Amino acid sequence: MSSAAGIAPYSDDQAESARMIRDSAAGYATDVARARALRFTNPGFSKDTFREMGELGWIGLAVPEAAGGSGLGMVELVTLSEELGRGLAPEPVIPATLSALLLAEAGETELLGQLLAGEAVVLTAWQDRAATLKPCLDAAATRRFIPMAAGATHFLVPTEAGLTVVEAAGADLVTEPTNDGGNLGTLRPKTYQSVGQATLGPALDKAALATAAYLLGGMEAAFAMTLAYLNTRQQFGRIIGTFQALQHKAVDVKVQIALTRAAVEQAAAALDAGTTGDAASALVSRAKARASEASMIVGQMCVQLSGGIGYTDDYDVGLYLRKAMTLAPLFGGAALHRARFVQLSPETEDA
Amino acid sequence: MNAIAGTEPEDLNALDDDSFRLVVRRWIEANYPPELRNPPKRLHWEENNPWYFKLAEKGWLCPGWPREYGGLGLGPIKQIIFTEELERWGCARSNDHGIIMLGPLLIRYGSEEQKKYYLPKILSGEHVWCQGYSEPNSGSDLASLRTSAVLDGDEYVVNGQKIWTTLASDANWIFLLVRTDPTAKKQEGISFLLVDMNTPGITVRPIINLEMHDEFCEVFFDNVRVPKANLVGQLNKGWDMAKALLSFERIYLGSPRQSAYALTRLKQLAEKMGVFEDPSFATTYAKLRTDFEDLKALYGRYVEVLKRGQPLGADVSQLKIVQSELFQRITETMMAIAAENAGLMEPMEGNRNLNPAGLYIQARPTTIYGGTSEIQRNIIAKNVLGLPG
Repeated sequence: MSSAAGIAPYSDDQAESARMIRDSAAGYATDVARARALRFTNPGFSKDTFREMGELGWIGLAVPEAAGGSGLGMVELVTLSEELGRGLAPEPVIPATLSALLLAEAGETELLGQLLAGEAVVLTAWQDRAATLKPCLDAAATRRFIPMAAGATHFLVPTEAGLTVVEAAGADLVTEPTNDGGNLGTLRPKTYQSVGQATLGPALDKAALATAAYLLGGMEAAFAMTLAYLNTRQQFGRIIGTFQALQHKAVDVKVQIALTRAAVEQAAAALDAGTTGDAASALVSRAKARASEASMIVGQMCVQLSGGIGYTDDYDVGLYLRKAMTLAPLFGGAALHRARFVQLSPETEDA
Repeated sequence: MNAIAGTEPEDLNALDDDSFRLVVRRWIEANYPPELRNPPKRLHWEENNPWYFKLAEKGWLCPGWPREYGGLGLGPIKQIIFTEELERWGCARSNDHGIIMLGPLLIRYGSEEQKKYYLPKILSGEHVWCQGYSEPNSGSDLASLRTSAVLDGDEYVVNGQKIWTTLASDANWIFLLVRTDPTAKKQEGISFLLVDMNTPGITVRPIINLEMHDEFCEVFFDNVRVPKANLVGQLNKGWDMAKALLSFERIYLGSPRQSAYALTRLKQLAEKMGVFEDPSFATTYAKLRTDFEDLKALYGRYVEVLKRGQPLGADVSQLKIVQSELFQRITETMMAIAAENAGLMEPMEGNRNLNPAGLYIQARPTTIYGGTSEIQRNIIAKNVLGLPG
């Protein structure tokens, strides 16, 4: 089994809860053809599916029950994200989760209700530049890199004055296509309507960790395809998986996946156990740094191991690489998160 | 059966893990010879035996052995904690082949007479063991080994050569894998034999390694006569017995302790060299630190497997790959920032903590011993990924 990497640091209840999430997401996790068909469409995902995901409680999975969510934890959210990544589901569940967490904290109820039901697509426009983890609070600043912005019904724009909402209809929005078949939006400022106060840091951390898990699911799926190929393709009269050079590359991919799983599940368990502040951010940074870097290494290597077919758009392995190209930098790439880890985390104990 | 006179060791298994760690830590700190902390090279018997005897006297020499044989009967987690505490204090590794390898093998496969005779002599330090597995033409392909043992009356006659025999010059006994059936398939003609190093016909020749240390030896066997009673387990079943003990070795070699030690030394060296402001170093350092934490997280998942009493699968090999390759990268970074100091034989300014070249060289064999990184990858490819042979 390719995911072999010891035992997750989960309680029995968490492990059972994760198993149930996996079962409920199985349909989306295996339907790559669906994701393929939605590429480069407008808005790049299915609004009907987004609504179904809302009805399943997925957008509010980690939102407190009092605010209308499911009140589950990060263990469940990373498990769900992993399964969505396996199937390359393009629906912006993670960006929507970020918005839901912020709206819940701000005490907003109406738009949150629509978002949790999957009727509104609320995306948070938190950054004004590339390569940053620091939310922009300048109300006049242009907001950039909003994932799947073409499908938004509303944007959440954090400002000094508080969390504000702008309707997508009539907004000054430009979208650019991304390699995964989706899009990134640039939103120019106008007058925003404040809905309350919310702290972005912890919610952004949760979105970063969920994105790491999504990438993890994608890595596993791409690697499973690649292993199947290595076990069937013949050259020089032999199954190519018998060649040691290819075997060792495959093991290196497996090791990257194992390390990503260890980092992601450790962070999820710690956050659910009440770790907060710098310690939580350091764990998230490690997980996202590993996932961002590993997803590119794994994607590249799976293309290489698949040979010419791996370079065709018809073959699904390429979809995972193109997804990694788009998601690895979102909510912070490897270098940014490593630098933050060093800044936040205590040194190892002197030996 | 406890061979050491004096106190019966307390039941440390009754303690919770944290209390156990503290008990072990306090005792080590109070009893470890200070001049032997963090030795730059592996110590010889005459240097480290005071510590061996101290552990023996306390009844802590063999934490993993059952209590009935004079061990502490610790479960796997407490054994790991015990090792971590030794490492934390910079305790020298003793001549431990009898403790780690032979003892557990005898307890599992040895006859009652063998257990009664050999185990107390390990506990008392009377027998110091070394391990005779590798041969000049049988390294990664160990099962091709050719040192032969031929029955002649009541004795086996052993001929051949072993190599990379750690601390053979300190040992007075050696346990051997020998070929007893040259006609069988290679794994099936191997037996496990115990040999007194003072038997005529044995020659030990130390090999100087890259550390300029004589830790390894060659051991030559020229018509060495070994009593038939020194065979452990069944004839021609030696390979299976030796293999059965490898999974604990693989998690031991995958433990983050070497990387932890090196990372701390890297930090000290970086401070000394004033490179923390260098952005290229900062990037490398951040990568090493996050890689180290990820290794610890992965290691923890395998410890959990042990904690639940489940068997470790072949995938535990990846821990050894990650650990040894990280250890090497840390020491390579030390060499890069040490500049001219990287060429020095001895630690910088006589400070053992600033020893870039020494650690760099010590890291080299970790991807070779215990199954090379390439062999570990072969194991994972076949037994975990299911790729065809």
